[in-house]
Formats: sequence, structure tokens, C-alpha cells
Amino acid sequence: MTDGLNNAEGRDVEIRRKRFTLSDPLKTTLVNFGKVLLTLLVALLMGALVMELSGKDSLGAYQALFRSSLGSRTALANTLLASTPLIFTSLAAAIGFRAGVFNVGAEGSLYLGGFAAAWVGFTFTELPTLLVIPLAFMVAGLVGGFWCYVPGVLRARLAVDELVTTILLNYVAILFTEYLVNGPFLLPGVANAMTEEISLAARLPRLAPPSQLNASFIIAILAGLIMVFIMTRTRLGYELRATGDNPVFTRWAGISVPVVIEKVMFIGGLLGGLAGAGQVLGVHYRFVAGFSSGLAFSGMTIALLVRNSPFGAILASLLFGVLRSGSATMEIFSDVPRDLITVLEATIIFFAAMEISISFFRRRRHER
Amino acid sequence: MTYVDMQGISKAFPGVLANDAIHFSVEKGTIHALLGENGAGKSTLMRILYGIYRPDEGKIFLDGEEVEVVDPQTAIDLGIGMVHQEFQLVPSLTVAENIALGHEPSRYIWIDRKEMKARIQEIVDRFGFSINLDQPVVELSVGAQQYVEIIKLLYREARILILDEPTAVLTPQEIERLFSILRQLRDEGRTIIFITHKLREVKQICSRATILRRGKVAGSVKVDATSERELASLMVGRQMLDIEYERSKNIGEVKLRLEHVRANDDRGVPALKGIGFEVRGGEIVGLAGVQGNGQSELVDVIGGMRDAEGDIYLGSRDVSQLALRGRRNDGLAIIPEKRKEQGLNLATDIAENVIATRYFKPPFSANLAVRPEQAERFAAALMDRYAIKAEGARSLVSTLSGGNQQKVITARELADEPDVLIAAHPTRGLDVAAARFVREELIKRRDQGGAVLLVSADLDELFALSDRLLVMYDGEIVGESRPEDTSYEEVGLLMAGHTHD
Repeated sequence: MTDGLNNAEGRDVEIRRKRFTLSDPLKTTLVNFGKVLLTLLVALLMGALVMELSGKDSLGAYQALFRSSLGSRTALANTLLASTPLIFTSLAAAIGFRAGVFNVGAEGSLYLGGFAAAWVGFTFTELPTLLVIPLAFMVAGLVGGFWCYVPGVLRARLAVDELVTTILLNYVAILFTEYLVNGPFLLPGVANAMTEEISLAARLPRLAPPSQLNASFIIAILAGLIMVFIMTRTRLGYELRATGDNPVFTRWAGISVPVVIEKVMFIGGLLGGLAGAGQVLGVHYRFVAGFSSGLAFSGMTIALLVRNSPFGAILASLLFGVLRSGSATMEIFSDVPRDLITVLEATIIFFAAMEISISFFRRRRHER
Repeated sequence: MTYVDMQGISKAFPGVLANDAIHFSVEKGTIHALLGENGAGKSTLMRILYGIYRPDEGKIFLDGEEVEVVDPQTAIDLGIGMVHQEFQLVPSLTVAENIALGHEPSRYIWIDRKEMKARIQEIVDRFGFSINLDQPVVELSVGAQQYVEIIKLLYREARILILDEPTAVLTPQEIERLFSILRQLRDEGRTIIFITHKLREVKQICSRATILRRGKVAGSVKVDATSERELASLMVGRQMLDIEYERSKNIGEVKLRLEHVRANDDRGVPALKGIGFEVRGGEIVGLAGVQGNGQSELVDVIGGMRDAEGDIYLGSRDVSQLALRGRRNDGLAIIPEKRKEQGLNLATDIAENVIATRYFKPPFSANLAVRPEQAERFAAALMDRYAIKAEGARSLVSTLSGGNQQKVITARELADEPDVLIAAHPTRGLDVAAARFVREELIKRRDQGGAVLLVSADLDELFALSDRLLVMYDGEIVGESRPEDTSYEEVGLLMAGHTHD
């Protein structure tokens, strides 16, 4: 009897509450967006503090930064150009982190993928654009994917720490490509370590000359949307989210966690390879040793900032593009070195990580 | 002389009353067992004494004086020390450094290493620990690491030592050595609280035992005057459930069959030593046993989650080589023992949890894409059918009460009307109403022709629900009977390892 009563009451509360829960996802999104903006703002303030402490004009520097990244059509195009590889690499990091694997290997995939794309571009010179460009991206993606797949298998089957293996494999990939351009693919009579140029047909069309912005930006956006779809709407997406949340539960649900980890590592490497191909086919037209300067690591910063949301990663990559493209001009006009951007990125990592540990402590306190 | 006295301690967690007005007192200079199944409230009570949790109600007296233990540091200052199940050691530091950590003797601003080692060596010599103070902890065996934890308490001059299941990770020889040290400590006048669920160990070294059951004190007894069987029955309960269920009217074909199943536990020690039994459609088979006798490993093996020898049949199909998904496709469902680790993804919502075993099938998945609206509709239907109280299908499961969390698991596992259901401790820690609901779902499945294996440590539950009882002891099935043909006493004896001749 009392049971029935309780139930009826519970029902009532349930119905009354339901009305207010509809807006919850929207609220969460807004709150998350606010947190990201706040983190960026704090980072800019820290940057200003560093500049003021070293006697620079921070306001002038930021003005130069934003004018040269957003102030004109070309400036805007350069911003999109700078964000292009970050879209790939931030998604590479995000899919790994979301599944609970710390894949740092996208940088190595980026180098190998870049080299593979260049090789296709200067080897198959007879092929028309519509064949050679997809072929170059495909080879780059497969090479990059395989490069992370191997540590993925080691992690999934033998519990070898993927963080260690992928960090070390990055050096292998970077130095191996350096060897290639200094050895078998050495260009005689050129001082820089680089391959010959790719064929005209293999070059991605420019979208807004004189900016170097090219079709790889469109490919990045498409890849980004596909990743949003994969991570939120596919079976693999469900599996990788569950694996990241609780691998024990995932196993008991009958999902093969090793297979999920292998797939995720492959996709991360594939995105790294595509990033490299985009830079080679769209910007440099050849493979240049050491061309990345840590694009994959900036991608990891972005993934951390947006907590592995694929859609957030695309947006934040555009924001990071603003900082990166403006920094060169800022250096010229305000004598603030472009290393400031590194300060900003480090501050962002710091605050993003702090936010995570705060919520961790809140949870701990809640448990007491 | 009463040394520790905890009076009327209550502590609630969301959906669970972990300690319900518990009185617990320990004599000075004795080894006192705190006995009970998982989830009975032992660890919670000791964490309150050690200052990790604050009680909602109740008082703590130490040596007759009321004390307030606000945090572990206060506890240490009061002379209370605790060895946790997971050791709290820094692997790269040496034994001596670990022991003194946080309480190093200092000279000016430096650590006085000489003094530190001398003080530790004195303790080591007095009790005859065989341990090298300069060895890094990472190189030590588990048993030796436990010594380090105990020496740490002695170094801090703890007069009360709380040991949380200290023997769970030890070999029999290590257990012997631990016990001789504990006896020595007792003879020195220290008070030891020994948390365990192993009856034999209680008989071996404890003088008194307090038994907790479902958050309440089920009894406080003199160990000498109490048999293992009596301890077992206090632990697993004697009060009949308020409802009697009808036995099965229609027992059908064999749906689950195990033959010669052998497997090791996580330490590599044999946990299943040739298990064979069958469960028929329309039958609930209850598996009784004191925790740690192989039941968990058995559930793992049936699910394909642990390497094993022997054959497992679902219906007539040998599924020994299949992974869990293959077995689920052949009609297996499992309500796992560890609700929050194995049964639920606490980071997400009800809808995502209930599709975990079916997200890849239509209608939840079509072509490449999953369909969240189908998951939500399905979750809403289950919430209705299983009376799950939550705001909606997108409510986070971490916000639900324990009972409703268990209903989410039960709903997910029963939704496809599985031929074979393994239910491991499905009502543990639940309130009366939620426990009854889950039990009735098991009965319903049986009445619809399903085979149910109910693993439980609660004899009331086993006698009330089972059509047939199996008793497990030390990795073997040591008894089989219909509940009406046996008694609590007989099952209790078998659980304690006394086989008939």
C-alpha cells in the first residue's frame, strides 16, 4: 500500500521535472563554450602580463596580432590557412583521448604522411589532378594510420604504454624522413634538406591568392565533419566513448576493447598523415625536413581545451589559427617575439588541466 | 577494558545506508574481527574511525573519552592507524623512506637519516621483521610491502591498528607470518581490528568478532564460543524474507551446462578446480558460498571474461571459444557483481547504458549510424516497465540511487528475455523494495522459461528463490540440494568447508 503511494508521488515529481530538463543539453553546451572563452581570456591576460613585465606594449602587440589575422581578406585567409593542419591534428588527439588512449604519435604520422604525399606527387608526374591528389592523400593517410596502428596493437594486446611508444616513434619518423631527404632523395645542389617539387597536377588549388590558403582547408573541414559524425553517431563512436569512460564496463557489455583501441589509433594516425599531405600538396609543394614545428602538439592542446569534443576542436582550431597567423606580423610590428604564442598555448594547457583537476576534487569531496 | 567505542554510527551515501546505528566496541589488547560480506558496511565504519568519512550520526569514544576524528591526521595523532587494501607506498623510495614519510626526524632543516633508520631498525628488531631498510619498495613482494605498511603504523606509534582484508593478497605462508606478528603486537598491548570475510582466519587469531550485515550489527560474539557455521549464518542472515515465492512448476531442458571448468584467479592461484553443473529452463539455481571461494571467477568464466579450461554449453552449443558478444548472441545475459565498474557506465546517461549490449543491432543502428532517438525511446520504455525513477532517458546514471542503478542493469539484461541469466549478487546493498523488485524479475524470467543462475551470499535470498541450491567452497561445488530438503545449518556447514562423509 505505502509502496503504491510512494510510486504515485515519484511519478508526479518525475513529470514536473521533465519540463525543465529539455534545455539541459543547450545549457551544458553554453557552459562549456563559456569555459573555453574564459580559458582563452585568462591566457591572453597572462600573455599581456608577460609582455608588460618585459617592458613591451601588450595592447599594441595584441592589436597587431588581431589586425594581421582578422583585419583583411588576405589576413583572414591566412588565418584559415594556419588553422588547416590544426583541424586534422586536434581531431587526431581528440579521438584518442576520448577513448582513453594517449596517442601522441600524430606528429610522426604527419611527417611520414607528408613525405608519402610528396613522393606520390613527384613520382607519378603523368597522372592528372583528379587522380594524383586523391592518391597522394590516400597513401599519406594509410602510411600515417599504420604508423600509429602499430603502437595501438602493442597497447591493446600487450599493454605496452602507448604514450611512451608514440613519443619515441615520433623521433623515429622525424629522423627517418630527414634521412630520406638527405640520402636517397637528396637534391643535388640545394642547401636545404628537401625533396624535388611535386608535379603541377598534384598541387592543391589556391582559394584566395595571394594567400597560400588552399583546398586542403576544405578537405580539413570535411574530415572534421566526418569525425563529428564518427564520434557522435556511429557504432565506433559509441564504442570508443564507452571505452574512454569505463573500459571494464565496455568489456562486460561484450565490446572488444582492444579492437576499439586499434581502430582509434589508426584513425588518429590517418588524420596526422592527412595533415602532412595537406601541408605538402597545398603549401610547400615538396617535403621539407622539419616542416611541422609541433603541429600535432598544438592539436593536443586544442583537444584538451575543448575536452575532446570534435565539433569544439574544429572551432578552437580556427581560434588557434588566429593566434598563429597573427604572430608573425606581430613580431615585425611590435618587437614582441612570436614565442608569445607558445606562452599562450602553455597557459591554455595549464588552465584546461586545472579545470579538469578541480572537477576531480569536487567529485572527491562529494564522495565523502 | 573497552578501548574503542563507536556508538550509534550512521552513514548514508546516495541511495545506500552504509552504516545504520552501529555500536562497535573493542577491548584493549585484543584482536577483534570485523566480519561481513562485501557491502555490509565494514570499510565504511573503519573509514569513519580513521577520519576518512565523517559519520552522519553517532559518537566515538577512545579510552572512555569522546573524540572527534575529523581527518586521518587526527586519527594518527590519536594513535589510530590503518592499512588499506591498496597499499599507500611510494614504489621508488626505500623501505625506510616510506616508513618515515611525513614524519621524518629532522636536524635543523635536514632529515636526520641516522636517527630515522635507528628508530625503524629498533622496531624491526623488536618484532623480527625480515626486511632490508635500504631496498626500494618496488622490489618487494606483496607480503613484504604489507610489513612496510605495518611498520609505518608502529613508527607512528599507533595503538590501534586497523587492517582492511590484509590476507586477501597474501600466500598461505605469508599469512602465517603476518599472524605471528599480529599476535606479538597484541601481547604488547596493542589493539587490532581485523576486517575480513574469511571465517577460518577469524577462528585462528581473533578473540571477539563483530558481524555486520546490510549496514547493521548482526551480532557480536566471543570467537571461542562460536562455531564457523554460526559465524557464517550471522554473516549471511537467518531472518526469512517477508515473502515466500512459489517454486517452479515447469522445469524444462538444459540451457546452461559446465563441464570440468578450471581457472585461476588474478594472482594465478587455482580458483575453479573442476566445476560442472547444469541449469535448466524454468529453474533458478542458487549458488551459495562465502565470498572468495571462486564465485566471481565462475561468473567471469561463464561470460568468457577469464581464460579457462573445460567446456561451457549454452543449449547444445559449445561456446567455450566464443567471446562475450558471441555468447550474448546465443542467449546469455549477465548482471555482473560490481555494479559501478562492470555493470554501468557512470559517465553517461540511462539511454547509452541500456543500449550497451544492443547498440549495433536494428533499430538502434541502421547502416553506419546509430540512432539516438531509438535509444531514448527504448530507455523510456524500460524506465516505465521497470519503474526506474529518474528525470528522463538522458539522466546520468551516476545521479540515480543504488536501487535504480541496479534496475537499469536488470532492465538492460532482461529486455531481450535471455535464455540464460547469470545474476551475481543482484540485490546486494539495495533497500528492501528495490531488492524485492529485482527478485521478482528473476522469478518472472524463470516462469517464462529462462534458466537463472543466482550467485549470492545471502542465504535468505537463496532459500527463498532457488529451485535448486549449489554450495561452492574453495573452487569446488561441495553440495547440491533442493532448498526444502536441506537447512541453513547444513548449507552453512558446507559453506564453511565441512563436507559430509
